[in-house]
Amino acid sequence: MSRGNAQLLPSSIMDSAVELLSVTKVFRHRPVLFNWLGKERSGSTCALQDVSFAARAGSVLGLLGPNGSGKTTILKLISTLLLPNLGRVLVGGYDVERDGNAVRRRVGFAVANERSFFNRLTARENLDFFATLEEIPRLRRRQRGDELLAITGLHDAADTLVMKFSTGMYQKLGVARALLKRPAVLLLDEPSRSLDPGATAHLWSLVRQAAADGSCVLLATHNFEEAVQVAGEVMILKEGRCVAQQKIGSGTSVAELRRTYFRHVPAADEPPLAAVQGGCA
Amino acid sequence: MKLRAQWDKLVAIMRRDLLTVMRHRNGFGFQAVTLVTEIAGAFYLARAIGPSFRPDGIPYYPFLLIGTAVYAFLLSGIGSFVSAIQEAQMTGTMEVVLSTATPPPTILMLSACSAFAGGAVTLIASIGAGALLARGAFHPNFFAAALVLLLSLIVAAAVGMIAASIQLWLQKGMAVLWLMGTFTGLLTGTAFPVTALPAPLRMLTAWIPFTYSIRGLRVALLEGGSMAQVAQPILALAVSAAVLLPISMIIFARVGRAVRLEGSLSFF
Repeated sequence: MSRGNAQLLPSSIMDSAVELLSVTKVFRHRPVLFNWLGKERSGSTCALQDVSFAARAGSVLGLLGPNGSGKTTILKLISTLLLPNLGRVLVGGYDVERDGNAVRRRVGFAVANERSFFNRLTARENLDFFATLEEIPRLRRRQRGDELLAITGLHDAADTLVMKFSTGMYQKLGVARALLKRPAVLLLDEPSRSLDPGATAHLWSLVRQAAADGSCVLLATHNFEEAVQVAGEVMILKEGRCVAQQKIGSGTSVAELRRTYFRHVPAADEPPLAAVQGGCA
Repeated sequence: MKLRAQWDKLVAIMRRDLLTVMRHRNGFGFQAVTLVTEIAGAFYLARAIGPSFRPDGIPYYPFLLIGTAVYAFLLSGIGSFVSAIQEAQMTGTMEVVLSTATPPPTILMLSACSAFAGGAVTLIASIGAGALLARGAFHPNFFAAALVLLLSLIVAAAVGMIAASIQLWLQKGMAVLWLMGTFTGLLTGTAFPVTALPAPLRMLTAWIPFTYSIRGLRVALLEGGSMAQVAQPILALAVSAAVLLPISMIIFARVGRAVRLEGSLSFF
């Protein structure tokens, strides 16, 4: 099993699977009509501010940070669901803004939202549907779906409508879906949030295996143990900025990572929204 | 290979839609009951009005049936573009579907094709039942009818793309569609001839492509109209398609970019 190191570099490197170059992302709040009736905030939120890094194929990069620090925004930028206001996001050398189709062919995304399936289809039917959209050849589609259902421990629930799934089962299916096309870049947004300890350990081995098979994995998490178990390197985000990065070696302990984290993100900073309101500096 | 992949996607989307409808259990039955009620409603309305009312020289029942069935088919097709976006936003599938290898406009088009196919079944059932109830009133020219319908579908797809863009941008695609449906339903001659409208509104009807769809299909299905007789509706629909389709694609691409920049892709 591999946990190769992500290379956190502010400059472009040729062999990186993912590169962010001075990326700034701002969310503007559109003023509403009759805003005097139930006041809604206006202005903008700076989700990412001048963030740069590169991650290589075969590596696992952990993204740590409080709620609203920009972890999911990074994943959405890489998957083309968002576009940067400033800077560039490259996947395998392709720009998310200009070459969106080429980027999407390389990226598998397990989103945090478990309501992301067709509820009146079974798990197998859902995977088959997404495998078709991912242009997996017809003959391999069913086989790949069954293989992933088995790997993620959903084989017995393959023909159950997903509306009857528990939250944890949804999460497993989300990971299976992200792995369908053996993506060059695998994005995982809090993938073990609702999993039991056994399933979590199994997920971690799956992630390590994906990296060993050559995928570049970006893992957004709040779980220090998960970061230590899976990532080769972690990046700590706070208020849309990268405030620290740390290599994770075989000797790195959860306590050590926790200390590093809280040195940069004091516990009092947890609700960061007020701090980031008003746009980027 | 590329064409086969697109075909596979269309089949996958149609299968998903069919399974979803069927697994709603009673929903399928309700749709069938609604269809029968509409056909019967039009039949008895025409009978109550009496045989002397022959708009454009056509018996009222087939006139009304084709007007309402075609208009409902086109409007629900346009609505399917909006509902494809709206449902994906509400069910949370929007982001994952749009992060697959299939480009967003392709997904939207294929979803709408699936909805149009479902609507076509209703349309054929409706007109077929009407033909049985009003034997002798139908003298179809199938080629002309197919041509008018095909061009109408292209126009409806273009309008649907614009409506979908409105849904993405303002999250109010259905409201705009409802407004449009109300006005165009009045102006396209679905239930009464446009000659009954005052002159200024009659001028407006000439600018609505679906007026030509309904007129063209009435001529093609009821009067066995030759190509020369349906030439004007076909020309009007072809020009509308040529103008609206590229415009709608540009709008959709621009709105798609804007919402990804704004981060409001899955807002509803």
